[in-house]
Order: sequence, then C-alpha cells, then structure tokens
Amino acid sequence: MPSGGNGVGNGAVNAGTSGNTPTFKPYRHLKTLEGHAAAISCVKFSNDGNLLASASLDKTMILWSATNYSLIHRYEGHASGVSDLAWSSDSHYTCSASDDCTLRIWDARSPYECLKVLRGHTNFVFCVNFNPPSNLIVSGSFDETIRIWEVKTGRCVRVIKAHSMPLTSVHFNRDGSLIVSGSHDGSCKIWDAKEGTCLKTLIDDKSPAVSFAKFSPNGKFILVATLDSTLKLSNYATGKFIKVYTGHTNKVFCITSAFSVTNGKYIVSGSEDNCVYLWDLQHKTILQRLQGHTDAVISVSCHPVQNQIASSANHLDKTIRIWTQDA
Amino acid sequence: MNAPIIDPLQGDFPEVIEEYLEHGVIKCVAFNHRGSLLAAGCADGGCVIFDFETRGIAKELRENDCAAAITSVSWSKYGHRLLVSAADKSLTLWDVSTGEKIARTTLQQTPLHARLNPGLSSPSLCLACPLSSAPMIVDFEIGCTTLLPVSVPEMPDVLAPQQRSKCAESGPPFSPAAACFNKCGDLVYVGNAKGEILIVDYKSVRVLALVPVTGGSAVKNIVFSRNGQYLLTNSHDRTIRIYENLLPGKNVLSSLEELGKNVDGLDGVEKMKTVGSKCLTLFREFQDLVTKMHWKAPCFSGDGEWVVGGSACKGEHKIYIWDRAGHLVKILEGPKEALIDLAWHPVHPVIVSVSLTGLVYIWAKDYTENWSAFAPDFKELEENEEYVEREDEFDLIPETGKVKVSSVNEDEEVDIETVEKDAFSDSDMSVEELRYLPAEPIPDTNEEEQDELKLIEARISASPASEEAGQNGHVADHTSSPLGEEMGETRGKRKRKPSEKAMELQAEKAKSSKASGRTVREKSRASGDQEIDGSVNGVDDDDDDAYF
Repeated sequence: MPSGGNGVGNGAVNAGTSGNTPTFKPYRHLKTLEGHAAAISCVKFSNDGNLLASASLDKTMILWSATNYSLIHRYEGHASGVSDLAWSSDSHYTCSASDDCTLRIWDARSPYECLKVLRGHTNFVFCVNFNPPSNLIVSGSFDETIRIWEVKTGRCVRVIKAHSMPLTSVHFNRDGSLIVSGSHDGSCKIWDAKEGTCLKTLIDDKSPAVSFAKFSPNGKFILVATLDSTLKLSNYATGKFIKVYTGHTNKVFCITSAFSVTNGKYIVSGSEDNCVYLWDLQHKTILQRLQGHTDAVISVSCHPVQNQIASSANHLDKTIRIWTQDA
Repeated sequence: MNAPIIDPLQGDFPEVIEEYLEHGVIKCVAFNHRGSLLAAGCADGGCVIFDFETRGIAKELRENDCAAAITSVSWSKYGHRLLVSAADKSLTLWDVSTGEKIARTTLQQTPLHARLNPGLSSPSLCLACPLSSAPMIVDFEIGCTTLLPVSVPEMPDVLAPQQRSKCAESGPPFSPAAACFNKCGDLVYVGNAKGEILIVDYKSVRVLALVPVTGGSAVKNIVFSRNGQYLLTNSHDRTIRIYENLLPGKNVLSSLEELGKNVDGLDGVEKMKTVGSKCLTLFREFQDLVTKMHWKAPCFSGDGEWVVGGSACKGEHKIYIWDRAGHLVKILEGPKEALIDLAWHPVHPVIVSVSLTGLVYIWAKDYTENWSAFAPDFKELEENEEYVEREDEFDLIPETGKVKVSSVNEDEEVDIETVEKDAFSDSDMSVEELRYLPAEPIPDTNEEEQDELKLIEARISASPASEEAGQNGHVADHTSSPLGEEMGETRGKRKRKPSEKAMELQAEKAKSSKASGRTVREKSRASGDQEIDGSVNGVDDDDDDAYF
C-alpha cells in the first residue's frame, strides 16, 4: 500500500552544496511485508543482497527474498523473543540472539536448519555480529559480558567482562581486530578482539545510555547513538566526535542506524516518532523523513548494492517496509 | 589502522606462552602469507591447518597411503597450495581450499626441507633439500628433477654439469647443503658444506656468484627475510650470520648478468667471488659465547627487525631473540622439551615453537591493561608532571562557565569508505589471496544439546559467569564443579546430613531436561523444610560426606 506523504517536501537539498554534488532523490515506499506476530527487533540485508532476514519478539526469524520480497522460510526454535540477528560474510549463515540466553546459527540455504546453539550467557542476549572472515561471532548480553564464539565448533573462545550494565550493541571492524561495544552504563568501549583487553573508551558519562555503536565501512569511524536523540560520528583514533546528527527522537529503544553508501553518503536511522530519518553524512542536514510506520521504527538496513532501505517497527505496527530510490 | 591506539612503548616481540595447540604429534609448522592460517605436519603423515584466529582446526589434509612423518610444510605465495614433504621420500602438492591432492612425486632421498617457489601464484616448481645429496628443483608439471650445483670447481670456465633426467641420479656424495629461493623466486641461494653461499640460476643450472662465509664451516640453514633485504645463515661453527642483499628486488637475473659482464680480467672462482661481493655483504654475526650452543630453525620476524633462533640442545626449549643491530633482547624459556621447529608470525609479534612432544606453543606479548583506555580523556605519562592549577580552580563559584571550545572542524569532509592499501599486499595483486578457510558450523547433535543444557543450567544456578570457558589447551572441567557447589550451598544452609537430599537432587536433574536450577533448588528447600520439622535429631553433622 503506497503511503502518502513520504516527506518530499522535507527533502530540501542543503543550501551549502557546490555545483557538483547531485541533488538528493527522495526514497519512496515500495512494499510492506507482514508476517510477524509481535514487534520486529531487527532487519538485515544479506551481504550479497539476495536475502533479507527479520527477527521478532514473537520468537521467530523470517527469511525473505530481496528480489521479490516473498517469504522464504520462518525459523522457529528460540524459547523467547529474538533481539538481534547477523549475517555471515558469505551470506550462508545467520546468527540470532534471543532472550532465552542463547544464540542460534541458522543455515540460510535449504533445508534451513538450525545448525548450532551457542550457550553460555546467563541473561538475555541482546546483540550479535560476525567478524569479516566469519569464523568468529561476538555477542553482547544483559549479563554485562561480551562473548566471542568460534563458528565452527560453537565453543566460547573468550568472555570479556565489559560493562557495568546491559550491553546494547557489539560490532567488529573491517579486519576483525577490534570490537566496539555500547552499553546502558553510558560508555562506548573498543576492545582488542584477539586479547580481550580494552583499548579505548569513547564516552564515559553515566548518562545518556549508548544504544547503538558500529564501525564505518572502512573501520576508521564509529557511529554512536545515545538515548538523548543524538547520533554521533567519531574518529576513534583521536577520540573526537566530528559529526553530530539530530532531529529524530530516540529516548527509549535501542534503535539501529546504518550507513548508506550506494548512491551518495547518508546516515539512516529509525526514530520513535514512527519515521525513518536520512541525513547527509557530511553536512548533517536531514534529507528526508520516511513516513508510513504506525509505531516506533526500531531497525533499519541498507541494501549493499541497490538503493533500498528496509525498516521495521514496534508492536503496534509489526511490519517491515521497503523503501527505494529511483536512480 | 590500529597503530594510533596500540602502545608503541612496548617492544614488539613475544614474552610468554599464551596457549598451545595439539593435534597428534606435530613435527613442523608454517604460516601462510598473512599469518591467518598455520599449517602443521604430523608424525602420522597427515597435515592439519589451524585457523590462527580461532585457534581451531580449519582443515585436515590426509592421504591414506602416506603414513610417514612429515618433514616440512610450505605455502604458496597466495596460500592456495601447500607442499608437504614426508619421510617416505615423497613430495605432495595439495590444493588448500578443496583439500585435494594435486601432485605427488617420490625422490631418491628423504627431503628434509621443501619450499614452493615464492614468485609464482600457482607454483608447481619447488626446491627440495634432501638429507644427503645436492638440493634439487622439482617440477611437478613436467615431472623432472634438476640437481643444483653445490660447489664451483676450481678450473676456470667450466659450468656445473647439467643433469636433467626423469629420476635424479645421485651425484658425488655431498654433505647436506641448505638452499632457499630469493623473494621473487628466480634465484636459488645455496649454502654448502665448504662454507660458501652460491647464487644459482636454476633455470640454466649455472652458478652466477659465490660468497664465502667467514669461518668456512658448513652452512646448515639459509633463510631470507620476508622483504628479501636480508639473508640469514646458520653455520656449523654455532654462528648465525646476517647478510644484506644488495641486489634489486626485480629483474635480478639481468642485474647479475650485468655485474658478471662488468668484471673483466677475472675468470672462474675469482669472477664468482667478485660478483658475489656485490650481491651480499656481511652485516652481523650472532653467537652465544657463553654456552656456545648450536642453533636450530633460525628465522627473521615478519618485518625483518628481529632475528630469532632456537637452541638445539636437547632437554631445553630456549628461544633467543636479537634485534638486527646485534643485541640479544630476550631469551624465552619454555617447558623442558627439546625444540624442533620455530616460526615467527608474519604480522603480529607472535612466535610459534614446536617441541619434541608434538605440541605447538604459541608465544605472545604479555598484555597489561592500559589504564588510560578506561576513560576518554586519560593520558598516560612517562613521568610525573608538575600541574599548575588555574587561579579559579578551587573557587566554589567559577567565574566563567567552562565552555569547551571544540577544536574540531565540524565541516570537514569525512571519508567512510576508502581503505588504505595494506602493507602486505604486493603491487601485483592479480590473484585473490586465500586468507581464510570458510568456517562451516558443525551441526549440533541431539545428545550434545542435552548435555550442554544440563551443564549450563547447573552453571547458571551455581556460579556467576566463568572466565575463559573451555579454551584449547586449558583444562576446563566444569562437569564436576557446579553440582558440587550447589551441594555446598544447600549444605551450608541446612547443616544436615545431606546424602538423601543429594540423591533427590541428582534424580531431579537426571529426569528433567529443561528444568532450571532454581526450581530444583526450591523443590529441595521445600522438602528440606518438611524434613527439619519432622525429624528428631537436631544434631548438626558438619561432616563433609564425599557422596560422589
């Protein structure tokens, strides 16, 4: 159902641009995917761009085709809601993190089996990611620890007592040597993936909580979201925040953000005012607000090749919306 | 990329044993180009590839008809192929990603040392150094072996005899000579028993230059540094010598020919020596004057800054590290087992040493927590600094509100995509490097799941999150402790003879697969209360029954 008012009026191009930057072409709604029975906590495109996976508090994960957006498979097996999922680099496996304190590795190819169950956390597992070679998985949990698992055998390689409050996000950098972690205790820390030692702390204020942290595609910058409706881009080598993005609402939920690099550089994030926000990376101006969801937008994902964004929302909405940009 | 935040004050060499890898009895090891995979040859003829990041096994290469101990392993430049030489005189070439055998030949003698040509991306040419004959070039495609000259005859203008045959004839008995390729793989440097280094063009089987090693004792090992700038020889006179390579990186053959032409008036050995003096110059010598020990498996560090050598004495596992200027910086001592092989990681300050018992020890830096990492504005100081406070530092009401002037230019262009070129990639990266073997998760079986469930539930109820769960090489036996700890807790609370309750609890656990530890304990508490009320003896038996 095409929704009206996707904010074309708000797509005002930044005044300060010079002649060579292309004018921003607004995204429009393409499709709405229904299939989950509860709030959807995470959507992610696979690295090859052929598949889309979504995880929900209804304890299941759904695999969709990214070409025609039909439902391919529904993964069942977790005993509680799923908070996060991650794709392996070769797009063959996904890993889901659940409130039943386990992580599960699923096969993204037929017969779509659950290959492994990773046990060890003592509380809800909230965030998960593969490393680029996809031989390790990092997970963050409400038990305040980061665990690194070996994909092949499922053995827990390392436990890092990382924070003093639940972790909200973990991410490997481009060569898998560093892990960035964000937590409700307000700090964002960088860890050496091999040794498990803390290399740097980016923020250390008690509030606001850090709700999301991830590395940029080249591993030089970290995008940090805090629960005071702010997104910051930091050059982690110097520790300074070089860009700040505001305008959206983010005070309660751990909303994921993404870098969009397929056609111009943008920061994309969900918001508690039911919209998806797009900012220009360099100029920090809001380029577009995508409207259509009927509840807070919790997760966004950018297609690796095409100009498409997938967004998913909370309880009152329960849908995934696909937005596309006509080139 | 990580350089800015890693402490540059610490030396870049390993200090302690981090962990060990075990897979049968390992005889020799080799890192791939980037150090992401470690190939290890075993005494039972199989070869195993470890994923160095996870320290787990990535692949096993095994041939059913080969049961002889592996003597050496060697990777191709981009990691696609692995050459394995075994004690049954065979050389096998494997394709790493498929795990299939590409070729196999049998030589006249057992090759002690075999190296693939480092210049080609899919080499089928290799250098083999047998136990008691001259080093030879083995070509798998053509299927022929070529013996290399080991000495330059005294008579002028006699080139070393060409011996091309299907099976190598054993030449005059030579004592073992060591040989290695240069960085681009078009020359072979041979160190012979007379204490000379010969630079040989293996395609035309000609000795192009000769460098006499001071002391004139037999050369046991000859190794190039990774960047090809330094050459190391290990001689029978217990000295390791470092030579600087004066030849250019590319087009080595033509420069050698040039040098040869420019030397006029000299012939034969003299000509070789003169050309040789333009190829290598002696840089440093290392020896242990106190113990005068023989060295084993010397090699360079990945960046060529350090030289490492293992002591060849039986019964001790000592690794000596020198910096290139010649100073001994560290002696690493391992467990009392003889050392048989050594390898330095190409990128990280990590050393891998193989002991006689077949274990592979991984040596790494001893990481201490960097305290300045815990707060964003902490800075580590070398020494105490005098701090002069501002006038209004201790005022109750500061005069001006502290406004942190952001020194960062917020309008600067930010580049989130470009990646700097790796220091390790060569300019001719036409072939995709094999860095990792895909990790396919081994599917859980049902029994494993049940066992794991019981373990984890017991662990959750008994103790908080434990460290280093089940690392390779560390004994992690959690099966006995959780139940024992639970017993302890109930024991402490009840102070009764708990043997009956122990039986109950055990029975409960065995029955329920999904019961959480908490419910079980509650049940026992309930039954315990009943027992207290109903029982007669209030005597506290503090005896710790061993009921397992």
